[in-house]
Amino acid sequence: MNKTGLYLTLALGLSFLSACNSNDDVLNDNFNGEITIDGDVECCSVEEARLVYNFVKTVREMPVFSDTIDGTYRLHAYTSGGSLHVGYNDLWVVVTKLKNANYVKEFTLQSITPLMTMQMASGMTMQHSAPTGGDAEGVTDQPSALKHTWVSFLMAAEGDDKWELSYSLSVQGGETHMITKAVNVAALPEGQSWLKSFKDESGDTYFLSLVSPDKWQTGSNDIRAYVSRKSTPATDPYPVADRVFTIDIDPRMPDMGGHTSPDNEALTLQDDDSYLGKINLTMTGLWRIYLTVKDEDGNLVAGGDNTLYWDVTL
Amino acid sequence: MLTVISLLSLATALSADSTEASVLNLDEVVVVSGNASGQKRSEKGQLATIDEHLVRLSNVSLVRRGSYAWEPAVNGMQSERLSVTIDGMKIFYACTDKMDPVTSYVESSNLRTISLNSGLDGNPQATGNIGGSLDLRLRRIGFDQETVHTTLSAGYEANGHLQTYGADTEISGRSAYLNAGVFCRRADDYWAGHRTRVDYSRFRKVNAFANFGFRLTPLQHIDGTVIWDRATDVGYPALNMDVALADGIITSLSHHVDFPEGILNSWETKVYFNRIRHEMDDTSRPDVLIHMDMPGRSRTAGLYSLLAAGWGRNTLRFNFDLYYNRLFADMTMYPDGAAPMYMVTWPDVGTFNTGLAVTDDITLFPAHALHVSAKVAWQQQHLNSEEGFQALRVFFPLMEDRYYQTTARVALRYLWSPQHWQISAGGGWGSRAATVTEAYGYYLNNTFDRYDYMGNPHLKNESAVEASLSAKYTADRFAATLEANAFFFSHYIIGGVDSRISPMTVGAAGVKVYGNIPNASIVNASLALSGRLTPQFSWNARLSYALGRDDDGDTLPLVAPIEYSSALKFSRGDFFASLTMEGALRQSRYGEKYGETPTPSYTVFNLSAEYPLALGSTELTLRAGVENLLDRRYSAYSDWNSIPRKGRNLYLGATFGF
Repeated sequence: MNKTGLYLTLALGLSFLSACNSNDDVLNDNFNGEITIDGDVECCSVEEARLVYNFVKTVREMPVFSDTIDGTYRLHAYTSGGSLHVGYNDLWVVVTKLKNANYVKEFTLQSITPLMTMQMASGMTMQHSAPTGGDAEGVTDQPSALKHTWVSFLMAAEGDDKWELSYSLSVQGGETHMITKAVNVAALPEGQSWLKSFKDESGDTYFLSLVSPDKWQTGSNDIRAYVSRKSTPATDPYPVADRVFTIDIDPRMPDMGGHTSPDNEALTLQDDDSYLGKINLTMTGLWRIYLTVKDEDGNLVAGGDNTLYWDVTL
Repeated sequence: MLTVISLLSLATALSADSTEASVLNLDEVVVVSGNASGQKRSEKGQLATIDEHLVRLSNVSLVRRGSYAWEPAVNGMQSERLSVTIDGMKIFYACTDKMDPVTSYVESSNLRTISLNSGLDGNPQATGNIGGSLDLRLRRIGFDQETVHTTLSAGYEANGHLQTYGADTEISGRSAYLNAGVFCRRADDYWAGHRTRVDYSRFRKVNAFANFGFRLTPLQHIDGTVIWDRATDVGYPALNMDVALADGIITSLSHHVDFPEGILNSWETKVYFNRIRHEMDDTSRPDVLIHMDMPGRSRTAGLYSLLAAGWGRNTLRFNFDLYYNRLFADMTMYPDGAAPMYMVTWPDVGTFNTGLAVTDDITLFPAHALHVSAKVAWQQQHLNSEEGFQALRVFFPLMEDRYYQTTARVALRYLWSPQHWQISAGGGWGSRAATVTEAYGYYLNNTFDRYDYMGNPHLKNESAVEASLSAKYTADRFAATLEANAFFFSHYIIGGVDSRISPMTVGAAGVKVYGNIPNASIVNASLALSGRLTPQFSWNARLSYALGRDDDGDTLPLVAPIEYSSALKFSRGDFFASLTMEGALRQSRYGEKYGETPTPSYTVFNLSAEYPLALGSTELTLRAGVENLLDRRYSAYSDWNSIPRKGRNLYLGATFGF
């Protein structure tokens, strides 16, 4: 046999072996014993369950949300780090069936309402809500068993200032449960400031929630944010604004004499209600992203004067 | 002696170097170690630094950033346009600020000679050598010298309390040889003229080496080299930072075979590896705005195979070489009370380069000869640091992480030697690829013009056409040499201001991005005279002129003003003494556009004396001298940020051999 033939045989043999291996993986995938696929029609198929299972392994569960529903189901909620912090937090939720731990395909999680209760020095209490993504919705490329929403906390829960998060949950079209949980919300570390507010000409207050800048790296990054309008009364959750803006960004490094980067792109409204732009970061460290909020006609609404900014430390 | 001995006569004098047997070879050589009276070398002898030897070569100048690790420039061109090899080995500096030219990783005691090929006619391993190529030839005693010889040396220089100590030994036998030694230097801050101290000009250096060989058969032998060189606590008064560590290990192993008959003469194949670690340091500087760490790493592995052949009137050399180099540098800044800031400044660039070279020396007929050299090289570069690559993509969104370049050079020289004359005329064309700094450097602050420099991955190769002419007339007791060369560049690579980009360094004037300007030109000319006045006294003098222009007709940076030197030498028996004068006129044309400031004129005088004593089988050589006799405070055009040179300096040296 000549050399080429030998290599070809070797290559074929190897690819055959690896194909066998991946098949074995599929057949033997028992979700580490955590999930039983028993053909329950309320639950996911093997393929769907694997998608959800693989996803929830990339995030961390928040045990405080874990709840048994109707004696049959269990709610699980996840955030990227297993905790909540000031500013934008992704929330992913699944409902599993107690008997097989498989994911339930049909459920609704609505009326998500953060509520801050502050004890004022005068002895009075003050309450307000925070921006949210509203009802939990399906996630692209995932079965309906995984749903997502978000909450952007305005401040940390410290001392007598407490956050509660409430929502309504219905599984498989069953009874709607109103659930309220006290949650801990941590302050962001020094050099991180991901939530800012501004007032428009008519005095309405808006909040700018920067989405997950902790995933940024040196180089060119997508910059995503939500603009939410403060509700009246303030204890109602703040929905995404129905007014359309453009947000110009000017990233600067205060420790480097105001060093900046070229070719940043303003945030503009996307179909999913988020605002998306491009930010270029030339190095790690503290970046102060100065914001200029303009209306649809390009008129200045807020910022542009070095008072409105996010801080992100890479 | 600053005065230059004629180029052509030197070439003949140096045919002792077996691999350079051709009398037509135009290498200019400075002798670093060994017994070499009458040839070019520093008057400090073996105790001189490599830099002090290098300045003895015509058309070589040195860019000084302190009292250590000067950057050689040939024909007015610096590192980017030169090839520097160590016995044919490629080695690349590891500092983004050029604090460690590769000549700083060897010591005089490691070397026998430094050979210079001016312009595009490079040594076979050279690539990218538009300005010239330097090959640092290692010191090898060779076989069959039937000797064991040990040299101890010590030197002291009053200015800066510079101390030099060295010990080395040579052992040669029928089947093996060894040169090995250790060398160390240390200096405190030096004093410029008028007793002003130049802060941060101290340094420490230790070097150990072994060059060895084994004979396999009467016609075959193996040679090897290990050099370890470590500089610590090196001050750079012209820069904002010093160096905590510059550490190099250089190794090679080669096989050599001689063919006593037939067309082939010899065949040498060498494999080599070297690695450099470089760490800048700002901790001893006051008023540092932001403390920063800036380490750099360079590793190179390669091989070359050189075949020498003689055929009819031709002396031919064929060379194949390849090397792989990795360059990585990064920077971390530590602002008070805030998160550190990190960036990759050289994105771990892997360069694979391979080339084929040929040289031919042809004796056409008596007194007429032709020298031809040519090389073609191909290289691939890959950016191994994803972080560095993504950072550069901010500025060059279309860039890729892999690039390919092909470069070539060809040079031709005609030599004619009628009675009393030696005349040569040459021409050539060559190209070079952008250096890693020029192509991928990231916010490299240049303290010369106070701009941050960005590399440009889309650069075209730079190319140049060279024309050169030299004529030497020799009479009984008098010689005159006129030399001139000119380089006409296309796509000359130089930084241009990009006001769109904000500087990184606090206080920087702005950002420059490397680009190709359509054309540029550099011209060098010199006249050298020498004469024997009496049997004891001789005299020589040299005058040089240079010109550098960009496409707008503006002066390029670091182009020499009119420089002159003259020396009166006295020798009687073995005693030798000299009085030299060297100086430059005011730099009236300077690269204002490139941030250069003019340099005033200066003249300095030096005295030196040397006396070898033979005491039975041992020899003792004493050297003494005074540099800058009148304690002038001055700096030359090539002194970075016009840092002043040493004031009056008394030096003493003793070399003891047995």
